[in-house]
Formats: sequence, structure tokens, C-alpha cells
Amino acid sequence: MKKTKSKILIVGSGRLGASIAGKLSSQGHDVVIIDKDISSFRKLNDEFGGYDIVGDASDLFVLENDVMINEVNEVIITTDSDNVNLFIAHICFYIYDIPHIYVRLNDNDKGILLNNTTIKTIFPFTLSYEDYMKKRKENGSHENRNS
Amino acid sequence: MRIVIANGRHEADFMIKKFIQDNHKLIVINSDQKFGRYISNNNHVPVLFGDSTKAYTLDDAGIHDADVLIALSTDDIENYVTCITAKRIFNVKRCVSVVRNPKRVDLFKNLGIDSVICSTYLLGESIKYESLIESFTKTLTLENDKIVITEMMIEEDMAISGKLIKNIKFPPRVNISCIYRDPEVIIPNGDSLIQSGDKLIIVSTPHDQEMITKFFKTRTEDNE
Repeated sequence: MKKTKSKILIVGSGRLGASIAGKLSSQGHDVVIIDKDISSFRKLNDEFGGYDIVGDASDLFVLENDVMINEVNEVIITTDSDNVNLFIAHICFYIYDIPHIYVRLNDNDKGILLNNTTIKTIFPFTLSYEDYMKKRKENGSHENRNS
Repeated sequence: MRIVIANGRHEADFMIKKFIQDNHKLIVINSDQKFGRYISNNNHVPVLFGDSTKAYTLDDAGIHDADVLIALSTDDIENYVTCITAKRIFNVKRCVSVVRNPKRVDLFKNLGIDSVICSTYLLGESIKYESLIESFTKTLTLENDKIVITEMMIEEDMAISGKLIKNIKFPPRVNISCIYRDPEVIIPNGDSLIQSGDKLIIVSTPHDQEMITKFFKTRTEDNE
């Protein structure tokens, strides 16, 4: 395994962040998860074998000294605030030049602010919408059922 | 100028009053409905109630191509998103953000916010400069600390006192912009004489400031 730049950082230990952390950790990745609220780490399951850090991931001092951001190769940003997610994504991209960045945004409109970057967005809205449309199609036409 | 003011409380109210006096065209957005109404009644300006980090709010407010946006929320990150959205999507020429956390001043600038203001930071910087230099000099910084203006009182026993400027061996990058000899203001040239009691106004970079003050403060006896 590579020594440097192999860490995965997960920002926000909500249901999504904690689940991703557990999964990647069980696959043998070096995972660090950060949340400003210590009680959020209860959502981490037993599979998780990485570090949990209590702190503010928008603070460069925390990123540099606690997270060791210079060793991070991939970031997944999943806090419950779109604005915070966007801000941290910009920090990771413009300041620390992290190659793989994924960010969750509840407001699709904010995705425009990530244009011209390599940051990948996850839109719960789009996923739900597409899932509904797919299921509706699988279910067959509703008119037919009623007749 | 078309100026957008996003959020803020009494500081927003104060600025709005001032900008109205100066005949600027104002666009006011506030996420606090009650305070928004207060600002509106107080200054007779329309206030749009909404979240300024959302593109559709800024669109409704009609901020396209505005000259300046000032983000005054107490939430730093909200201000950041407001500014970036205004700049990238609505082509606002200049964005100013207020921040609470002094550590974010440089970060916001690096991320593309034109101007970042933090009262704690300003206070810290001025205390730093005040303590760096002895009491007879006053300093003022411009352009986000890239330029400093130092005011220096000339005393009898300073090495440069009583000399013509052209006869003084200055270190590099020193610019005496002005000599104040009560009540006269002199724009100096090589033939200007520096006398005790003069106040010199010196423009430099912050980096050179210490070296310059050291040079000026050289006493006659140090030179012999």
C-alpha cells in the first residue's frame, strides 16, 4: 500500500457519512471521519476501524493538524448544511488540491458553483426523482391498471 | 452604483442610511423577516425576505451585474456562499464579506472573495502595528495590509535631521511622500531639508516598515 496520499476523509457523521465510513473501512481503506458533534459517531457501526475526530472541518488548522489533510486522497462531504458542504468542497479543491472530492447537495441549484472543478456532486433530489420515475415505469401504466 | 446588502442587522441599517444619502441604488435582502420590515420602514426601501445563499432569491432580487455586494450575516459560511453565488452566477463586480472568525480572512480571499472584513482581525492587526513601533510613529494600512503609511516625528538627535534629502543614504524602497511642517505641507524633492519637528509621511510595504523605522531612528552618535 502507498504510504502517502491514501487516506479517505469523510466530513459529517450522519447516516450517509457513517455508512460510507464503515463500508470503506471494512474494505481495508485508511478512513478518517470528522464531525463537530461527538454524539454523531454513535452511528458508526462495528466495521469501522478508522479514526474519528471531533472538530470543525472548515477550520484549516483542524484540517492540517488533526486530519493531516496532506495525506488525504479522497474526501466525501456529507454534513447537513449545503453551504458548509460547498465551502469545505471549495477548500479541499482550491486550497488543498485533493484529487477526488464528492459532495452531497440537497439544493441542485448550488451545483453550478462547482462547475469548472473536478468535484463530483451527489443530489438526493435527483436520485429520488429518478428512482420514482423508474419504479413508476416498472409498475406499468397506471391507467391500464384501473381499467 | 448598484449596491446589494445581504443580511445583517443594525450595521446593515446604518449602511443603508449612508448609501441612500449618497444616492446609490440599493437592493436589500434579509433572512430575518421582522428585522427586514424594520429596515424597510426605517429607510423607505424595499427589502426582499429570503435566503441569500439561494440563487433564486438573488435572481428575484435582481442583483444581476450589480457593482457591489456586501454580505453581513453572522454566519461566515453563509456570507461565503452568498458572495460566490453573486460573483459566479450573477456577475456582481465586487463582493465584500464580513466574517466573525479572524482565521477566515485570508482563506476567503484565497477562495476569491474581493474583500473580507473582520473586526477582531482589524483590531489585532492595529494592535500588532501599534506595538511594533514606538509611540512617536503612527501607522495606517491600505489595500488589505499590502501598503502601510507610517507617520514619523523627526527629533533633533536623529541622524537625518538637518540634512537635505539628496544627501541622505536611504535604504532601498523608501518613499517620503510628504513632509508636514506645521502649517505647511511639503511634497519633497532632493533639495528638501529635513528638520527636527517635521512629520514625515512614508509609504512602504509592511515587510519594509520595520527596516525603515530602524533607519530613520538612527541617532547621530550611532553614525559616528
